[in-house]
Amino acid sequence: MPLTSVLLLSMALFCIGVFGVLSRRNAIGILLGVELMANAVNINLVAFSRFQGGVVGQVFAVFAIALTVAEVVVGLALVILLYRSRKDVRVDEANALSG
Amino acid sequence: MTFDVVYGLSPLLVVALGALLLMLAEAFGKPNPQGLAPTGEVSDAGAGRAGELGMGAAVVLFVGAALSLGVWLAGPDNLVGLELTRPYLIWDRFTVFVCFTLCLGGGLSCLLAGGYLTEHEIDRAEFFPLVLFSTVGAMALAAAGELLTLFVALETMSLGVYALVGLRRTPRSSEAALKYFLLGSFAAALMLFGAALLYGATGRTDLAGIGQAIAAIGQGEGPGAAQVLIALVLVVVGLAFKVSAVPFHMWTPDAYEGAPTPATSYMAVAVKTAAFAVMVRVLLIAFGDERLTSWASGWPPVLATLAVASMTVANLVAGRQSSVKRMLAYSSIAHAGYALVAVVATIRSPAAEGSILFYLLTYTVSTAGAFGALILCGSRGKEAVSYEDLAGIAKRHPAAAMAFSLFLLSLAGVPPTAGFFGKLYVFQAAIDAELYVLTVVGLLNSLVGAYYYLRVIVFMYMREPAPGATLAVPMRSGYVASALVIAAVLVIALGVLPNVTLEWAAIATVGRS
Amino acid sequence: MLETYLPMLFIFVIALTIGAVMFFGGQLIGPKNPTPEKMMPFECGNDSQGTAGVRLNVKFYLTAILFVVFDIEVVFIYPWAALFKSLGWTGFATMLAFIAALLIALAYCWKKGALEWES
Repeated sequence: MPLTSVLLLSMALFCIGVFGVLSRRNAIGILLGVELMANAVNINLVAFSRFQGGVVGQVFAVFAIALTVAEVVVGLALVILLYRSRKDVRVDEANALSG
Repeated sequence: MTFDVVYGLSPLLVVALGALLLMLAEAFGKPNPQGLAPTGEVSDAGAGRAGELGMGAAVVLFVGAALSLGVWLAGPDNLVGLELTRPYLIWDRFTVFVCFTLCLGGGLSCLLAGGYLTEHEIDRAEFFPLVLFSTVGAMALAAAGELLTLFVALETMSLGVYALVGLRRTPRSSEAALKYFLLGSFAAALMLFGAALLYGATGRTDLAGIGQAIAAIGQGEGPGAAQVLIALVLVVVGLAFKVSAVPFHMWTPDAYEGAPTPATSYMAVAVKTAAFAVMVRVLLIAFGDERLTSWASGWPPVLATLAVASMTVANLVAGRQSSVKRMLAYSSIAHAGYALVAVVATIRSPAAEGSILFYLLTYTVSTAGAFGALILCGSRGKEAVSYEDLAGIAKRHPAAAMAFSLFLLSLAGVPPTAGFFGKLYVFQAAIDAELYVLTVVGLLNSLVGAYYYLRVIVFMYMREPAPGATLAVPMRSGYVASALVIAAVLVIALGVLPNVTLEWAAIATVGRS
Repeated sequence: MLETYLPMLFIFVIALTIGAVMFFGGQLIGPKNPTPEKMMPFECGNDSQGTAGVRLNVKFYLTAILFVVFDIEVVFIYPWAALFKSLGWTGFATMLAFIAALLIALAYCWKKGALEWES
């Protein structure tokens, strides 16, 4: 499988993620979009590592997975926090601070 | 060998160990029944001990600052063993200077929190371990010489700060935290994609190696050069988000206003300082190629645009805010603009790196002081939020008003305060680099900025509170007062005797090839 | 370049055919003898209760979050375990430090009551 097709796949995944972040109104949906973006990066890293030799890319991907998980955990905790205080997770409804 | 490493990295290690210990102390210590909040839904061991835990955290961070000073005096270059940590952590004079600034800013914020959390009965002593962990991340970020380390450090710093913003458990606070988190993780993902592209184009993850590989790719029009350009754009966007430069500043006023004020102070000083440090290192080492630092085909025009936009937009909007905290948030965006001018100046002026470091130090003490003075001016239920709240405070609490005025004058850049010299050296570096337009825009903006800083002083000294209005009652807290004294002494000392610090800043460079 | 993907196309087609044959074949030639019990949705042998879109208690999420955060640390332990011999005592000490930090975090969660179901 050539490198270009892997890159196309990851680029598509990344763009879907960006679209999700920009179009979703639900905090969890945005979080999912960010996750897709991060996983596109992981595909990229592993593909580069496979085609260039060396393992740095794979190590990078492993760390990136752990980092994204930590990020998601903090994000979900914040969502729960907001839910407890407002009973709603839609970010466009959360507008006490706009202006 | 081992001693060199341990001694060299001691600021980082002390803060990391201190964070772990403080976490245990917070969870396993004896709760203080006197300090329990009447409404606090979580009455755990950390409750009511914000004061003592804050003192502990501040001591750890000030020890970190003292150790940075010690490492500086010993000279990181003389500690041969520190070569072992390269290229992951580059522990040079640049890093050590930034570490000092970070520890100082973090320590001041912890002292402020010690008073603030007690006064406002916020039962969240997690504040202190979070600040310490975040500072560890910030120091590692300033030292990072490799993309993987850079990301781990960036996330360590950011995750702590996201939690700090949501600490108050009010809808406003959690909303600000969630917004900041979503935008922040989006920016981090963009930057991560940029890093992956860089690795793909160059096959390296250390910044120096990337720099060499980019130089080797050279003028080519091939896919490699295009990848590098896309990566550059993504990385610059991510970093611009972290330093809150316009147009990536949308989160700043919300997050700064929603966060408890000591956390705001921490975000404004430490996150920004670390982000600027890593920005300088990445741009000069990884993207330091001649083609990428030229005015025609590289990052300087992009950053110059960001600088002009940040200064102008922030200064114009700041004047129209009715909340002082929000005004200070916009002021921090404007200050990011001034520092960006110095970042652009690094392309032609060797003194510019030093001017950034000195600027960040003066900005840290002035901003932490200003937020501290704002905290001091209010007490539980009678917080100082708007300009009107501050009316006539000079009569009721002359010391608080005087301290606030000093820090505001420093932020405005009035001599002989620290802020004046900070701005002076930034603009000097810009003139050295023949960036005349940027300098003029910066100077004009400083004049505009003086308006809203002086407006606060006018309200404090020359206005009477409206009859029947709820008055902000200044709080009494030894912690806040001592933080203000430390910040005020530094603001005056850096303003009267800037030379020593400046000479030090001048030799703290990232060592570009 | 596209020829590379030809085997994948075959696999897709074969898989679809087998699935379709079994599905429609069962419908066409199988005996039909419906009873009320057979018509119920199958849920691990139990009678299903309520609707599928039920709201879960927020406590589940908290527990799930804690599980995920401790679970993912294994990604760092696997490579270490695979290279245990060659990493030697340095690797062992590093991993001890890592696990010590995790233990402190676990103790913190425990003491803070994050592991309590009733609260």
